[in-house]
Amino acid sequence: MKTLKAGTRLKSAACDTEVMVIRTRPEPVLLCCGGMEMIAMDGQKAAAEPDAAFAQGTLVGKRYVDEQDTTELLCTKGGKGGLSLEGAILVVKQAKALPSSD
Amino acid sequence: MASVRPLAGLRVALGGRGHASDYARQLLASLGAECEAKGDGESDEHPALAWRRSGLMALTGRAGGAARMCPVPLTACADGALAALAALGGGLRVAPGSGAALMGVRAQFAGLARQGAVSPGGTCRLLACRDGHIAINLARPDDWAMVPAWLESDDVPNWVTVAARVSDQPAAQLLERARLLGLAAAVSAAPTPRSWLELNLLGAPKAPRPRCAGDDRPLVVDLSSLWAGPLCGQLLRELGAHVIKVESSARPDGARRGPAAFFDLLNAGKASVQLDLASPTGRDRLRQLIERADIVIEASRPRALRQMGVAAEDWLAARAGRSWLSITGHGRRGDAADWVAFGDDAGVGAGLSELMHRATGERLICGDAIGDPLTGLHAALAAWASWRAGGGHLLALSLDAVLRHCVSFGAPRSDDALHERHARWTRVARSRRNIARAPLCFAPQSHARPLGADTAAVLSVLGVRAA
Repeated sequence: MKTLKAGTRLKSAACDTEVMVIRTRPEPVLLCCGGMEMIAMDGQKAAAEPDAAFAQGTLVGKRYVDEQDTTELLCTKGGKGGLSLEGAILVVKQAKALPSSD
Repeated sequence: MASVRPLAGLRVALGGRGHASDYARQLLASLGAECEAKGDGESDEHPALAWRRSGLMALTGRAGGAARMCPVPLTACADGALAALAALGGGLRVAPGSGAALMGVRAQFAGLARQGAVSPGGTCRLLACRDGHIAINLARPDDWAMVPAWLESDDVPNWVTVAARVSDQPAAQLLERARLLGLAAAVSAAPTPRSWLELNLLGAPKAPRPRCAGDDRPLVVDLSSLWAGPLCGQLLRELGAHVIKVESSARPDGARRGPAAFFDLLNAGKASVQLDLASPTGRDRLRQLIERADIVIEASRPRALRQMGVAAEDWLAARAGRSWLSITGHGRRGDAADWVAFGDDAGVGAGLSELMHRATGERLICGDAIGDPLTGLHAALAAWASWRAGGGHLLALSLDAVLRHCVSFGAPRSDDALHERHARWTRVARSRRNIARAPLCFAPQSHARPLGADTAAVLSVLGVRAA
């Protein structure tokens, strides 16, 4: 369990996935990729493959949210694992609407 | 410029004396054409008068302060790109200042005004950071939701809290995190030149095509939104192309929510197709539409279409005579392929705000989304040059590269020269009481089609079927 903050960067212990936290709950949460808890960017990866139940894969540039819409992550590097929060798989959020002008 | 010179062997007569004509000949020469510069051509308008006539002078400077002169001849780059395009294709009504007029037209239609370090559109700001100045453009509604992550702050995101957090962070770190989050940002720095076009021959060309399209009219599938890409598509339509504007039902062109007159200007006369790109059927139809195109215009990050199973390189190799036009913020290569840019922040990144600061002492955004109209004009030139040459090209333009190319054209060589020119050009611009805007090179005879109005007809005519 970790207390996450907007802007926190994490990486998968089981694949190449990297994320940045866009928003989250205030209390500590269990955030996993490939079924293993995500680790700090300078942490040591496990010598393991993603759990088959959590191997949906991540795509760079996509945003992932939980069903209750309390937590949003931006995938900054794609990998083989699937993201999950408290055991529930996170789903891809619709791409940003375009501006009316720039 | 790559060694590929699509117009090698083509002789183009292009008279005219002045910055705009010189720029037109430089562009055509970079594409391989031989330009005959007739000495008896007309003189181009003075760049200072052109800056004021285009409306850009009124859009640059502090609100309530003096309208400011740009010390590089950017309007001449717009006029020159249009003159070069008109030399390669028929049908454009080019008058002196028509290219530059496109640079001020959005602000004219939207009633925008200068706001100093804030863009006329209001979404881009030049902010002081610990070691310099950085532009951030929060143009999409959702961009604000990324700000807490960008600044690692739980403050309520608004411009006051953003300015405060930015002020004590170094530019490089702010830029890196913004890029990671897909926010459009740029550090204000002195300009460095780049070539405007990256051109690669990846498919077999067909025989060269004549200046006027006649019956051989290219089918353009335009996947782009906002300003640069749609302007390019509209210019190609004026030159004789059939243009199909394709939009995602979930993410239609945001410019539909802006001033209608501006959207009409860029999109009237194009067929409108909408596809549900979240569904396999919609994606399949997109692939089939692209399969039928002679020219594709897209202004997305390369990974977006790749994730939909469309690769420009494969498409070019699959059939002779095609051209793929890619408009990006910072190019298609390496990490830069994922960096987002919009017109105002790209102008800051290309050095315009730094030049304006040296010239005036003020921190300013220069013009209105200045990268967009310049890139749209250059993109049309690249696309029509490729079409004339028989195609086969991947044409990669970025807002950043086009702007850097323009800013470096005719740039003063020293700060003294910059100050002297700025003062002189300001006097020239103010010497006239009234200056009417130049006519545009095209004027829509109708409204743009409603979103998806031609979906069924286009899919039927082109034989696009549901999978």
